[in-house]
Amino acid sequence: MSAFFPLWRRELGAYFRTSIGYVAGTFFLAIAGLGLWRQAAQLARSAAEGDLTQNLFGTPVYWLALLVATPLLTMRLFAEEHRAGTLETLLAAPVTETQVVLAKFAAACATFALLWLPTLAYAAILRHCGANLPELDWGPVAAAYLGTALVGAFFLALGLLCSLLTRHQAVAAMASLAATGLALSGGRLPFYAHTAPFREFAAAFAATRHLADFTAGIVDTRTVVWYVGGTALLLFVAVRILEARRLR
Amino acid sequence: MAGAETLIEADNLIRRFSRCEALGGVSFQIRRGEIAALLGPNGSGKTTTLRILATALAPTAGRARVAGYDVTVQSLAVRRRIAYLPENVPLYPEMRVDEYLAFRGRLRGLRGARLATRLRETVEQCGLGDAARRTIGTLSRGYRQRVGLADGLLHEPDVLLLDEPLAGLDPAQVDAVRTLLQGLGPDRCVLFSTHVLAEAERLCHRALILNAGRLAAAKAPAQLAQAGETTFAEAYRRLTTPLPLVRNPGRGRNA
Repeated sequence: MSAFFPLWRRELGAYFRTSIGYVAGTFFLAIAGLGLWRQAAQLARSAAEGDLTQNLFGTPVYWLALLVATPLLTMRLFAEEHRAGTLETLLAAPVTETQVVLAKFAAACATFALLWLPTLAYAAILRHCGANLPELDWGPVAAAYLGTALVGAFFLALGLLCSLLTRHQAVAAMASLAATGLALSGGRLPFYAHTAPFREFAAAFAATRHLADFTAGIVDTRTVVWYVGGTALLLFVAVRILEARRLR
Repeated sequence: MAGAETLIEADNLIRRFSRCEALGGVSFQIRRGEIAALLGPNGSGKTTTLRILATALAPTAGRARVAGYDVTVQSLAVRRRIAYLPENVPLYPEMRVDEYLAFRGRLRGLRGARLATRLRETVEQCGLGDAARRTIGTLSRGYRQRVGLADGLLHEPDVLLLDEPLAGLDPAQVDAVRTLLQGLGPDRCVLFSTHVLAEAERLCHRALILNAGRLAAAKAPAQLAQAGETTFAEAYRRLTTPLPLVRNPGRGRNA
């Protein structure tokens, strides 16, 4: 794995040497800030409505943050290298396709984690401002962050795969947005479907429902396996596509 | 170079794309210490040959070995021993030259003092001293070419595969690249493609002339000229058929 760390460092650096890291950060912080503002407004009405975990992770604002951040972070991963021709020189170096895919994915995950870092300070900020915040239950908080990490990793792997399939960043972003949007809005389908079996089937794969479970402090092993397995499968497919391009 | 180790061996290489045959059975060998030029009109298969040898593309049929390793089944071993510079010199524009070279060195397993020494040597060898701290995106074509060459020389590869290394360079830069390639010494071999016949004649020990995906000649430029009792450029023109500027004129608007 000697090539993994140089690849990961270059990829991570590329987010902040180009504008993409700052654009993603600005969008994300604006949306997350909206969530914090909602929290503050609810606290102003009543301390009982100030469930921080629910307000931060269980709202459409949170889904929007996921929806916007993941395509922005993944759209350039392969599409830009493909367009500029650097993918050919990269793969002419003694690196394996697995190292390249994992390094790019790890860099996207690290940047995604950096985006979420400021949210850890929300409770402290609200208390510092004199808010009468209810006592935090750390179990659901930890579960919500775990859920965000799992769903985020799945969405990033989905975006990475979209980026691998085109040489245009905009197309990669649109495809990633559509795929992640489907994964999220698919969670709403059970409410509209006419047949009960389909409602039950769709509900089992609904990202919004999984996230709601995590936010409530429920960590279902099946859900964890679904996201870990799904992420691994998407990355495996990405590696195979990259290998196939060399052999085609 | 007779008796020197064979570093590049192409054996009946065939490469077909969906609509055409880019290579139709090309065979040649290049030995250690040799500088060979791949010549031919556009579409004759020069880049395809280089990409196959660089493991960027698999041959449809035939076999190629580089530094003793099969390019298809031992591609990682091949990539440890080669440097490949594509025609448009793709680099990361947001990185500084020294950072980029350090990154490429680390990819090839160079670390610590060895990496620092090789960085210093290649920056000096390629005349990049004054540009080492500059961002790649701000460099001219000539400097970008030098960065690509420095990248290729970092790990002291056995084989250098260069696609049009002289394209877009001014005369002084061409002189610099020629001196650099000639100074690589007897330890490695260089295979480069070019359209500049005069430079190929001055630089290479052997010219491999491709025509429509087939090897039309593989001789020293002087031998080629003598064989036809003419100049190297005339011998080249005799051996090659340039692609027509207008394809299938009979199927045009007026057909």
